[in-house]
Amino acid sequence: MPMAVSPTRPQNGLTKFTNCRLLKNDALVDGDLWVSSVSGKVIDSQVSFYDELVLPDKIVDLGGRILAPGLIECQLNGAFGFNFSTLLDDMSEYGEKLQEVNRLMVQTGVTSYIPTITSQRPEMYQKTLPFLGPSGDHRKAEDGAESLGAHCEGPFLSPTKNGVHNVDVLIQAESIEDLQRCYGADNMTGSGDGKLPIKMITAAPERGRMMDLIPELTSRGIIYSIGHSEATYEEASQAVGKGATMITHLFNAMRPLHHRNPGIFGVLGKAESLPRPYFGIISDGIHLHPTTIKIAYNSHPDGFILVTDAMHLVGLADGSYPWTNGEHTCNIIKKGSKLLLEGSETIAGSSITLLECVNNFLQWTGTSIPQALGAVTSTPAAMLGLQGVKGTLDAGADADLVVLSDETVGGCHRLVLDEVWKFGQPVFRAEQSHVKSY
Amino acid sequence: MRLIIRDDEHAASMYVANYVVERIKAFQPTAEHPFVLGLPTGSSPLGVYEILASKYKAGEISFENVVTFNMDEYVGLPRDDPNSYHSFMWKHFFSHVNIHPSNVHILDGNAPNPEAECAAYEDAIKAAGGIDLFLAGIGDDGHIAFNEPGSSLASRTRVKTLAYDTILANSRFFGDDLNRVPRMALTVGVQTILEAREVVVIILGARKALALQKCIEQGVNHMWSLSSLQLHPHPMIVVDEDATLELQVKTVKYFKSIEMVAREQGFEQILPSRVRTGNVPIPETKIQKVKSTPILAPEPIASHLLRASPIDGYSSRSVSPDLVPDRMASRIPEPKLNGRLTPNPEHHMRVNAVGA
Ligand SMILES: [Zn+2]
Repeated sequence: MPMAVSPTRPQNGLTKFTNCRLLKNDALVDGDLWVSSVSGKVIDSQVSFYDELVLPDKIVDLGGRILAPGLIECQLNGAFGFNFSTLLDDMSEYGEKLQEVNRLMVQTGVTSYIPTITSQRPEMYQKTLPFLGPSGDHRKAEDGAESLGAHCEGPFLSPTKNGVHNVDVLIQAESIEDLQRCYGADNMTGSGDGKLPIKMITAAPERGRMMDLIPELTSRGIIYSIGHSEATYEEASQAVGKGATMITHLFNAMRPLHHRNPGIFGVLGKAESLPRPYFGIISDGIHLHPTTIKIAYNSHPDGFILVTDAMHLVGLADGSYPWTNGEHTCNIIKKGSKLLLEGSETIAGSSITLLECVNNFLQWTGTSIPQALGAVTSTPAAMLGLQGVKGTLDAGADADLVVLSDETVGGCHRLVLDEVWKFGQPVFRAEQSHVKSY
Repeated sequence: MRLIIRDDEHAASMYVANYVVERIKAFQPTAEHPFVLGLPTGSSPLGVYEILASKYKAGEISFENVVTFNMDEYVGLPRDDPNSYHSFMWKHFFSHVNIHPSNVHILDGNAPNPEAECAAYEDAIKAAGGIDLFLAGIGDDGHIAFNEPGSSLASRTRVKTLAYDTILANSRFFGDDLNRVPRMALTVGVQTILEAREVVVIILGARKALALQKCIEQGVNHMWSLSSLQLHPHPMIVVDEDATLELQVKTVKYFKSIEMVAREQGFEQILPSRVRTGNVPIPETKIQKVKSTPILAPEPIASHLLRASPIDGYSSRSVSPDLVPDRMASRIPEPKLNGRLTPNPEHHMRVNAVGA
């Protein structure tokens, strides 16, 4: 292409992606996208052209590849050897480790996420949550993946649906003060500026008076997610009526679907004229059978969110790793993306990346690429109340982007990560990427 | 008048796009001496814009030193409304090429004082040195820009009330809701277009056939504002076969033969050097009264206010011998009366080949 930039004009930080297939709603649309590294946002190119009288500094020709919003991970327990549920003697070290994880995680295509703390004693929440709150106004591309606020999965869970959570730390709440005593009042009482460290709480609605506390939580801007619960269909419906908008790893750590009592899954059935909640699905090939995933998707596609529930071992080599769960230390055997407690068949979380989940979903269900990507972009953004900010390429949204190649393997689509952009700046490029930049 | 006939839309669009590219290249525009291009909206030029964009992307042409003036814009429609001509130009052309926004001119349909906006537009064209090439399309009724039937052929940029037919035709872009179609537009005038050093019109499809016939085979008439092109020294009309449906077979054959001969002889559109090339010393301004035009016109036709006025710019070698319009009687479809064939292509070819 000829001169893309006039050397005489002042730099304005604008990049134009051209020759791309843009993820827009439910389709891949041929088009261009303008982003600004100054505002870190997607630009309305027409307005910019006619009002600001500017042309982009840089044009990136994607050669027909996919340009999608950066992936949003809603359940991640740690990565690259660092477990978010970790107390360190010097907690400033915690911040440094977290930064390192953020910089590595962005290279997997995840540009924003909800760090998850499993069931722990109060001290753990109170010391770690201040680090895990939303990155907010920092908006530095070089910081890598960005926290959108923490997810407290527990400890107000059902002891009989604890999964790998330590039963000894599970408690129940009778009042909002019980929650504050556990998490720390500062971590769940915001000034309404969206900087509340806690973004989401997973709790069993049938435990203690949790059902009645749901409206108080949601009024504070905290998302209430049903999970690790013995709730019946009726109880789950009641929780949804009280404001629950999410189900944590649907099917896992809850009663199975029974034809006479459909359990938590039943609330996806659009009964009782209630709004249907969003739900997380782990498509790692271990937690759920592919057909189960297909059924869940078809029952409520607009609520379907792919999550990894990955442990800190994601990104590490296979082997045996010590794991401290409360006071207990045991070993976890990592083999591929499979994690088992040593000497048992208990699934100890996954170590899959979010893009691998997308590819599994594509392969198992034959769904379209836009639909599969929606489950890790626009749908989680909507669940988090971040429509128009994250998970979309619309003007005004944060310019968090992934460049993807699509291959067809055995008749199925497979996505390959080529590039990641954060706040309008390139932060990762795969070695064999074919990006032309000039 | 040159009439170029191509088999289909794409071939016609390709001809125009190639022509524009060649003109810009020959001009060798610079920042100080840019090529000034007049631009239309509507369905007719879409193919041309698409081809121009692909030629830009292939590195065949740069628009860095091209200044553009658009023909028209609706009054009162938000600038970024999907139906505005600002949006049209952005979507179909500007966003795909390297034209700088400060070189782009489109009338502001939301200007607080529309009359002042129009006057300023004329001034801006003048300040840019006049328009080198005005690309145009026409409506079904032969209107050029928003100069609808009855527009003064001496008109300049102004506020114009749209004809009911136009509102009707445009309602398809506004959800078939007549009430949402703007009633007024700002538009360059017929005279503004005629003052361009060169005018190239693309006309596609059977719907435009009657308008083309009126403008080619009949006289200058304000009811068919494109016909004013007959007063221009360097007009070119590029059409597809469908648009020729209303033309006489001999008219079509005549223009095709001219083009063939011209091509064989290695000259097509012959422009005077000062029109052809931008980067030449600026000629001295000579104010001349129009002597050559035998046709009644309300104003001297081409600008003598502008530098490099086309008035004295007829090429020394005329490509197209003037079409001698036949008598109306000869159009009555009776073989007897159609016996006379004028002009005689063979005769003209001979004259053309040797006489230049
Ligand atoms: Zn869990």
